[in-house]
Amino acid sequence: MIEVDELRKVYAGSVEAVKGIDFEVAPGEVFGLLGPNGAGKSTTIGMLTTTVRPTSGTARLAGFDVGEQPLLARSVSSVVFQDSVVDRSLSGRRNLDLHARLWKVEAAAAKERIDELVQAVGLGDLVDRPVATYSGGERRRLEIVRSIVSDPRVLFLDEPTVGLDPLIRAELLDLIAELRDRSELTILVTTHYLDEAERLCDRVAIMHAGAIVALDTPERLRAGLGRELLELRVDGDAAAALTSLRSRGIAHETAFTVGSTLTVPLNGHSTSEAIAAIHELGIAGAVSARRPTLDDVYLRLTGGRLAEAA
Amino acid sequence: MTALALSPLATLSRRRFQLTARTPRELLVPLLTPIMFALVIAPSLKTALHTQASYESYVAIGTIGLLIPLNTMFAGLGVIVDREGGAQRELLAAPVPRALIVLGNMLVAVAITGLQVAVLIAIAVARGIHFDATTGGVAWFLAAATLFTVGMYGAAEILANRVPKQEEYIARVPAIAILPWFVAGALFPITALPHVLRWVTKFLPLTHGLALMRYGLLQDGSGLHNIWGMSDSAAMAALSLGVLALFALLLGVVSVRVFSRAALR
Repeated sequence: MIEVDELRKVYAGSVEAVKGIDFEVAPGEVFGLLGPNGAGKSTTIGMLTTTVRPTSGTARLAGFDVGEQPLLARSVSSVVFQDSVVDRSLSGRRNLDLHARLWKVEAAAAKERIDELVQAVGLGDLVDRPVATYSGGERRRLEIVRSIVSDPRVLFLDEPTVGLDPLIRAELLDLIAELRDRSELTILVTTHYLDEAERLCDRVAIMHAGAIVALDTPERLRAGLGRELLELRVDGDAAAALTSLRSRGIAHETAFTVGSTLTVPLNGHSTSEAIAAIHELGIAGAVSARRPTLDDVYLRLTGGRLAEAA
Repeated sequence: MTALALSPLATLSRRRFQLTARTPRELLVPLLTPIMFALVIAPSLKTALHTQASYESYVAIGTIGLLIPLNTMFAGLGVIVDREGGAQRELLAAPVPRALIVLGNMLVAVAITGLQVAVLIAIAVARGIHFDATTGGVAWFLAAATLFTVGMYGAAEILANRVPKQEEYIARVPAIAILPWFVAGALFPITALPHVLRWVTKFLPLTHGLALMRYGLLQDGSGLHNIWGMSDSAAMAALSLGVLALFALLLGVVSVRVFSRAALR
């Protein structure tokens, strides 16, 4: 449904925002693009939604080339933008109706679909009020409803929950999960909230500095770090501690540091064996053992840039 | 333009009209200055300068030359509002040619300006100002006013897509909308200007617009003669209409290009 081939974007000043990426998303699949700010996620979505001109490479949505057939590519897709993109002085219904008309949804069908969707997301009482009176969460729900009024085949969600409080975020994740379950919609979602990616996505691509550094299911990506890992909050030089653990054969290539935190996948070593080695080496700090998460995969691959971005 | 393209154009125009109707300042503020000219300044000038009733007719057309630029420049603000906090990106993601977004806005600007010009003329007639309009004259007037409005909206759209903030846009409005009005024959014939400035004003679309509108509604070809120096009024009117058509076409096309380029990073 989405085919991306050697897609590249160089902005003025030779800033290479996206470095020739490739991926494919199957019909009905939810695909996540993860990465810190500046990784190239929004530029990628911009190229797929034809608001950013690719420097080279191609992308197709439902078979339509975004460069050669932009109107057809846009007709099968919809976007929920990172920040609010609505006409605030118009009512929610007017915003929804505008989308339906521009995407050429037949009037009676549009009305029926709008009524059904606004009830489903709890906006029934608000939809005829100006959007300026909506809360942030209500506005987000309206934008999600708007994006599916035209029954798109491809939906782009660009950081859909960024800046929202935890309760609204949880509600929106439920809504997106429901979309995923009840339709054959292909979704491409960008986020740097990894719990979102784990919950929603069939596969994720981790972007770093304009390139895709990993692409697989969340389970397989986690499996790359083994079944268990140790996390050390080191009182001192974490890099030096990592070097010592490597020399003892406890830490391998997959171990990494972010600030003063050292993360060591155990890869067959037992927890007690590893902790004993830590004590013997005189590495001071708090130690805990846990199962790997997607955060660990992400942090290992992006070198802790997430922390900088947050 | 095919029927297929007209449907989204109507949708986009309808949206812009709904947004404009919800911001009364966009409808009322541009009217204030021309109405003040028509009701206060023109009668005062007539008294102070001991001019004839025809001067009020002269200035009544002159105020239209202020209303059109002010109204179109205010309409251009909507483009920045759309970009900064409105639904512009949603429109850019829609399966419609992006030129239609500009044309939709332009249609509404032309319609609202037309309404305001009608209000201004109605006020002038109510005050007893005489217009000498024939069917042909009204056609010249409408053609001049429409082409000048299209060109000025094009200028507003270009400016709105070139400056990042509303404050910067507003700061440039006087130079574009008001300054030319003082020298384009709105309040006095351009022959009263110093020689060099008179030549410069002949290149202003507003000078041609005002001369043509006076030719249409007052049967007064002196403004056209001051520009072209010919004796055939109809020929001069056609030439000035050509200048306005060129102005409208050029600014219209450039505004679409500038919008499309600004929208596509």
